[in-house]
Amino acid sequence: MPQMTRRQILKALAAAGVSTAALPMIRHMAFAAEASDKPILIVLHLRGGCDGLNFISPANDPDFIAARASDLRVLDDGKDAGYSLANGPAAHIDFRLHALAGGLSELYKQGNLAFIHACGLTDATRSHFIATDMIESGVGSDADLTRMESGWLARALMEHGSPAALQAIAVSGDIAGDLHGLNNVLAAPDVNNGLPFVGGANVSTALWSMYGNTPGPVGEAGKLALQLPTIIDQKVIRDAQGHTIPYQPDNGASYDKAGGLANTLKSVARLVKMDVGLQAITMDYGGWDTHEYQAGRFRNLVEPMSNGLAAFWNDLSAYHNRLVVVGITEFGRRLRGNKSGGTDHGRAGVSFVLGGRANGGKFYGQWPGLSSAQLDEGVDLAVTTDYRRILTEVLDHVNGQKNAAIFPNYHYTGGLGIF
Amino acid sequence: MPITAENRDHLLQLTNRLGYGIRADEYSEIMGQGVGGWLDEQLKPPLGDDSNTAERLGKVSWHIKYDAVENKWPALDEMRPIALNKPIEEIWLAFDPQKPMSGAERAFPRSSVIAATMLRSVYSRYQLREVMAQFWHDHFHVNAFADDPIAASMANYDRDVIRKHCLGNFREMLEAVATSTAMLYYLSNRSSRAGAANENYARELFELHTLGRDAYLNDRYDRWREVPGAATGHPEGYIDQDVYEAARAFTGWTVEDGGSIDGGRKLPLTGHFTYVENWHDGYQKRVLATEFDPFDKPMADGRRVLDLLVEHPATSRHMAEKICRRLVGPSVPPVFVARIAEAWQKTIKAPDQIAQIVRMIAESPEFIQSRGSKVKRPIALMAQYVRAMGYEFTPTEGLFNQLANAGQKLFGAPTPVGLPDDNKVFLGSNAMRNRWQLLIGLTQNYWNTGIPEPTETLKAWNAKVGTGVEATAEFFRLFGVPANEGLVNQTSMAAGLVPFASPVGADGEKHLAVAAAVAAMSPEFQSC
Repeated sequence: MPQMTRRQILKALAAAGVSTAALPMIRHMAFAAEASDKPILIVLHLRGGCDGLNFISPANDPDFIAARASDLRVLDDGKDAGYSLANGPAAHIDFRLHALAGGLSELYKQGNLAFIHACGLTDATRSHFIATDMIESGVGSDADLTRMESGWLARALMEHGSPAALQAIAVSGDIAGDLHGLNNVLAAPDVNNGLPFVGGANVSTALWSMYGNTPGPVGEAGKLALQLPTIIDQKVIRDAQGHTIPYQPDNGASYDKAGGLANTLKSVARLVKMDVGLQAITMDYGGWDTHEYQAGRFRNLVEPMSNGLAAFWNDLSAYHNRLVVVGITEFGRRLRGNKSGGTDHGRAGVSFVLGGRANGGKFYGQWPGLSSAQLDEGVDLAVTTDYRRILTEVLDHVNGQKNAAIFPNYHYTGGLGIF
Repeated sequence: MPITAENRDHLLQLTNRLGYGIRADEYSEIMGQGVGGWLDEQLKPPLGDDSNTAERLGKVSWHIKYDAVENKWPALDEMRPIALNKPIEEIWLAFDPQKPMSGAERAFPRSSVIAATMLRSVYSRYQLREVMAQFWHDHFHVNAFADDPIAASMANYDRDVIRKHCLGNFREMLEAVATSTAMLYYLSNRSSRAGAANENYARELFELHTLGRDAYLNDRYDRWREVPGAATGHPEGYIDQDVYEAARAFTGWTVEDGGSIDGGRKLPLTGHFTYVENWHDGYQKRVLATEFDPFDKPMADGRRVLDLLVEHPATSRHMAEKICRRLVGPSVPPVFVARIAEAWQKTIKAPDQIAQIVRMIAESPEFIQSRGSKVKRPIALMAQYVRAMGYEFTPTEGLFNQLANAGQKLFGAPTPVGLPDDNKVFLGSNAMRNRWQLLIGLTQNYWNTGIPEPTETLKAWNAKVGTGVEATAEFFRLFGVPANEGLVNQTSMAAGLVPFASPVGADGEKHLAVAAAVAAMSPEFQSC
């Protein structure tokens, strides 16, 4: 399928009788490479409520051992023992990373990966959908949620981002809530085959005529769908026949053991290397809603994630100082399991920050403990770190500005020291 | 009775929003029916398919392919007729997890429902049932791609739960869902046991299926007396403790999956719902400020929870809001939603409750005035285009994948929310590109959904019209899109037509088809 250059698009537009003045977006479209040293923030959503206590267990805590079946704990001895993490959040407790997360354990030891245990929403919702909406909107209460239409990442990019034709991408079928409200954002689940014009250049000329002057959400959507993918598509390498050349990771990195995250991570890596001025990328990794048969399901989720992130970090060695990956989930899960071999919706979970400039190899935040009196409502790991504290510190690092106001009605008391 | 312009607009709005547009060959019949006649027929469809659709369903095959696994099964690669009417016990006997069988075999009922859904959207005479079946599939969503048993029970779920009740009574439907194989697996109530119940189903039953998230008063966690109205037995909303207690009420609601009940007894392998008394937590409970006595009759606890939920005004509000958002659109006036909620509450015992509600909406000025406010779901875009063009249509896996690319993976939304009813979801750049691709692909038979030869419709067009531009202008009119001369010229050029040549030419139908596809890519045709 033929590709259009900027000049061809402008010509097509003129032929269609569309004034480029009416299309402010196209005038500052970045068609040439924009080599940059600016940070790129990558948000990984662990959707469904990842059981932080099964991901990183206080392995030798008697309260924990008393409350949980052994197959939902990381063990501290035997052949299935997990990785002991130095610099844990509580003295005398051996915090162990899941036994199949060897890749993450290495990143932690190298000092690039930091964990925040017992973090989440201060609001006590145990609903996936309310919790997800709150986190993506960057709020802490139902009342603020009804008032907030845009996502936290969108607001940060609008307030403090660098101008660019394409500021952010959701590597997903649709745009994640974090990015709602941002105009120059694209959703693409996979960029490995490029994003060529639908139907070829002549069809897109006709589409420009139809959408170029159409007001309202459909018109806007059409215009963006004609403009934004081109920025990516022209950076996808093709052979003489016009076929895309498969992605070659650097450093001998391989995504073969990254399961359902492989194509997503490859797309993200490719987008980073394109240098088109992207400042934020979101991606999804779902399946964490483990109400039954958690032990096996959890293994099948943790192992590819760990392998994938390790491969990604290896592949992007040249970019470490620019990259910040934040892993976040809507809530953690109940301390006590149910009789289906699973866990139900709880409160605090685990977040992580992976970055070349992050002070990794450490935990941040307070450990609240798991005795009955220490639990939230007697059942769940209590939230001691508001998720907004992590995101504010990350944003401050990424865009070099003060970002506390991005989160309405939130009193930021300063960062945890991750950067 | 001759139809007035006003009635005609209402009828077009009905067929576009509560159906997938009018086929050329049924236009005069529908105009003859008028608004009243059309609604009467559509709101009371007979059980099963019309004869044309049934005949076509009988001819649909779906690709099934898997590799050999040594000592287990041989490789297979065939087109297999879809199967919609097998009783679940027959499927379950074959499903037996002890038997070696490829996942693709176990999941074939899912493929059958996907194929039937696409075919019915294009051909079914009972278009409103297609729209409502989709609404309820989203409301009571099970992800048929999450797990093999869900895929295996999809034909039964679609037929005996969703379609059977989609214009009937909500309370009956709710219990049909609660006892369905698909839902018992998807929200894991099947494995819920006394002692530490599994809360998955109860949580989504409250939040998604009935009361709605607005009624979740999470700040009162376990302080049920603080919920307004609790003292008189009518709490305004629910708290986490209600979810925990309701989960206990549903323990023992499970599936005959051949598993063991205790050391000495086994469940049969039928896939049917069953209630296992000694898995049930029989002790007293308190749900929505209502005390349940200990050790009530079998299933009485769960049924009582369903009754409390259906009778609760928050459920009526939530359902009214949801059905209005789907049928009227995002800017539906709140007073109208309140009126529908009131009607919903009054009809909770009516056997045709849902049909009554749909009629009330369909006859309202709010409905008529909402024209153009809904972005068509990808399957609606597909069906309206194919129906308007009169193309022959066969559902295929390729088309299923393309609908997924455009944002609608049939029966495969990742969370129990189903596919969100939000224009935004269908307007991302990725979704837009794939909507356009969908129209081009249907036209050029990318996914073998049609007959690659020019259809009678296009031949007739070619014979009727003089030049390429005249034909293109006709297509814009067909899709209700205003188009000036410049756009018509560009579109015909984009389609490879020589604009002013007359006639269009020997190979002209193929170019005409592309012109139609481009016209259908217009912003106006994306909404209804």
